[in-house]
Amino acid sequence: MSTVIPAAVAFASRRPPSMASNTFCIARRELRDALKSRWFVLYTLAFVVLGLAVSFVSAAGTGGTGFSGFGRTTAGLVNLILLVVPLMALTAGAATIASDRERGMLAYLLSQPVSPVEVLLGKYIGLGASLLAAISLGLGACALILSWRGGVSSPQTILWLAGLSFVLALGMLSVGVMISSLTRRASAAVGVAIFVWLTLVFGSDLALMAGAVALHLRINELFALALLNPLQVFKMWSLHAIDANLDVLGPAGLYAVEEYGRSLHAIFAASLTTWIAIPLVVSSIVLARKSPL
Amino acid sequence: MSASGLDSFGFRPWSYPAHRPRSPWQLLALVGLFMTSPCTAQEHAAPRDVSPRTTAERELGPIGRLLASARPGDTVRVPAGTYREHLQIDKPVTLVADGAVTIDGGGSGDIIEIVAPDVTIRGFVIRNTGIDLDQENAAIRVLAPRVTLESNVLQDILFGIDLRESPDSRIIANTIGGKRLDIARRGDGLRLWRADRGIIEGNRIHDGRDAILWYSSGVIVRGNTAHDCRYGLHLMFSDDVTITDNELTGNSVGVYLMYSTGVTLMGNRLLKNRGPSGYGIGLKETDRFTVRNNLIAGNRSGVYLDGSPFTDAQPGIFESNTVAYNDVGFTILPSSRGNEIVGNNFIDNIDQVAVAGRGSLDGNRFWKGERGNFWSDYTGYDQNNDGIGDFVHESQTLFENLMDKRPALRLFLFSPAQQAIEFVGRAIPAVRPEPKFTDEVPLMRPLPLPTWTPDVPPSHFPILIAGGSLLAIGVSMLALGYERRRSGDGSSGEKPARGAA
Repeated sequence: MSTVIPAAVAFASRRPPSMASNTFCIARRELRDALKSRWFVLYTLAFVVLGLAVSFVSAAGTGGTGFSGFGRTTAGLVNLILLVVPLMALTAGAATIASDRERGMLAYLLSQPVSPVEVLLGKYIGLGASLLAAISLGLGACALILSWRGGVSSPQTILWLAGLSFVLALGMLSVGVMISSLTRRASAAVGVAIFVWLTLVFGSDLALMAGAVALHLRINELFALALLNPLQVFKMWSLHAIDANLDVLGPAGLYAVEEYGRSLHAIFAASLTTWIAIPLVVSSIVLARKSPL
Repeated sequence: MSASGLDSFGFRPWSYPAHRPRSPWQLLALVGLFMTSPCTAQEHAAPRDVSPRTTAERELGPIGRLLASARPGDTVRVPAGTYREHLQIDKPVTLVADGAVTIDGGGSGDIIEIVAPDVTIRGFVIRNTGIDLDQENAAIRVLAPRVTLESNVLQDILFGIDLRESPDSRIIANTIGGKRLDIARRGDGLRLWRADRGIIEGNRIHDGRDAILWYSSGVIVRGNTAHDCRYGLHLMFSDDVTITDNELTGNSVGVYLMYSTGVTLMGNRLLKNRGPSGYGIGLKETDRFTVRNNLIAGNRSGVYLDGSPFTDAQPGIFESNTVAYNDVGFTILPSSRGNEIVGNNFIDNIDQVAVAGRGSLDGNRFWKGERGNFWSDYTGYDQNNDGIGDFVHESQTLFENLMDKRPALRLFLFSPAQQAIEFVGRAIPAVRPEPKFTDEVPLMRPLPLPTWTPDVPPSHFPILIAGGSLLAIGVSMLALGYERRRSGDGSSGEKPARGAA
């Protein structure tokens, strides 16, 4: 909580600092704080270790036949990312503003010549950078294991996974920050974030499955509803990007490819961008309008 | 070639069910079917009646003149060059390309028509037929027995080689590349129609509809490759065909056997055959088949069993195959009873065995005597080290079961919700499904895997680079965060900062 103060003072004493430098300053402070936090270290470690385990075990299965199906390795990594990355991003986002508010840090920050939007963006970028670090360390280590164990999946696979995980993380971080800006206490914010995580990971899928069975949803409706869940979008997008088709996902996947074909990338991108943009806009309005303290 | 034989082409839809009646009732049903749905009859497009034009009707090109002056039994050598002409070969000659010879059809009609027996065509490039599906424009149309087509390259063609009533023919080492049309507008790269005892060996077929055998028994299909076709190899009413060592990749279906008896599939590689009905091997109402030593990998469904075996008299045999990395290993319609699926490797198929529709797999065996299959998802152990798992392998995962019943739920594959459901299925007996099948003597180790070297040997280098650059990104983020001092901002260390506050 310390470094930003002299920086802001220094900036204020010279000339009105630009928005970019304020944002960057806060981003660096946020990144530094995040990397020092116990949670970040734990999540990153868990991600790296589990990722290594998945790669190790699945690479063993290919047993020298020379092919690595999309099957085990990528499926395992996708599954792992779906569990860990949203949790990491949601809790990181949820903790940030609410805990600053609790400690009086937010009041102090905003008393400096910085706007609420700058604070928000700075925090977002800093946390985003910390998530990028966690994801690239985790998947980078997996790639090394895969190249060593000979379960060769193409480099595109791992790069696509890393890129898309980062986009997913940005979306979930955005939601976390929104929760944080709407909540008074940090503990409550993290609680809500975990509830949201549970809903996105398990709740909505299970509900959708039940709906598909009970209401006899048509596959176009099923696909449209799945597009609402950023986790499903991440999954479908990775399959689409890596395998260039979605027919592994059965009728709904075939429908998506038949119906939207080349524009699927745009559709998935639009969905995830919405998950990034709207919560950010909401939290900036909340911070700017209401008394943020 | 007889006139009456040709006549029958025009009425083929009527002769088709009559050729191999299984029972009077079935015959009746089929006839009824064709009477009520002319579209279905059209779909299995019969060779049309093409009345062979006589040479007199055409202007002869250079090759035509060479042929006209040849005597039966001659070898006609065609000098190198490109010829734009359509040929009819009406005497038994051997036509050999002397150097690089291209015969260009100019985008219309058939290119070579063989109406005499014992003709050989060797070493030509034959390209550019018409695209008239109605006329079935073909690069080489054969209307006589005992021809040999060897080492020709057929490019940009609608139909490639079309054999009609041409038994004892040999089609060796040709390359047949279709026009890249929409699948509905393509022709068959290779078609045999009543051409028994043929040999099809070492050909490469791509971008066609099917390589199809109609009513052609005793054919040997060996060492061919087919990719980007609809059906890599398609058998209709063709008995006792031997299909060995072929590689069928990236088609809609690798091998589709329909209404054929006594077919043997050995040592083939069926890879990545995908699409809405993508199967490695499809079997429809097929009897007395043997499927052994094949590698079936990366397909939407490795094997698709629809009403096969058709009669229960003899079991369908699946042995020593490796079924790996398919979306579904075996898709079995409950109408299929009497298969013996023993001694195979089932490796990492998302769904190892699926039942399509209501019913069970009771009529099929997954183990026999002391021998079962290798299942990569077997969870038991082998305490007495006899290579056989001490517990029965039962396939009863809840999500798989739901997926079989409602394929739309495949959308939720690879998600944590899927695992949650499977966990519930394991933990709560009340919702645990009935086992789809059991293997009482599952193998602990896979049988020897078929050796298969991919076209491009995999390199570990690119993924190493990818991993390295990802790690570099991560480390640079860490460095950015942990960096103590920033230039131009000397006093921003931790302790001075606290002092300033």
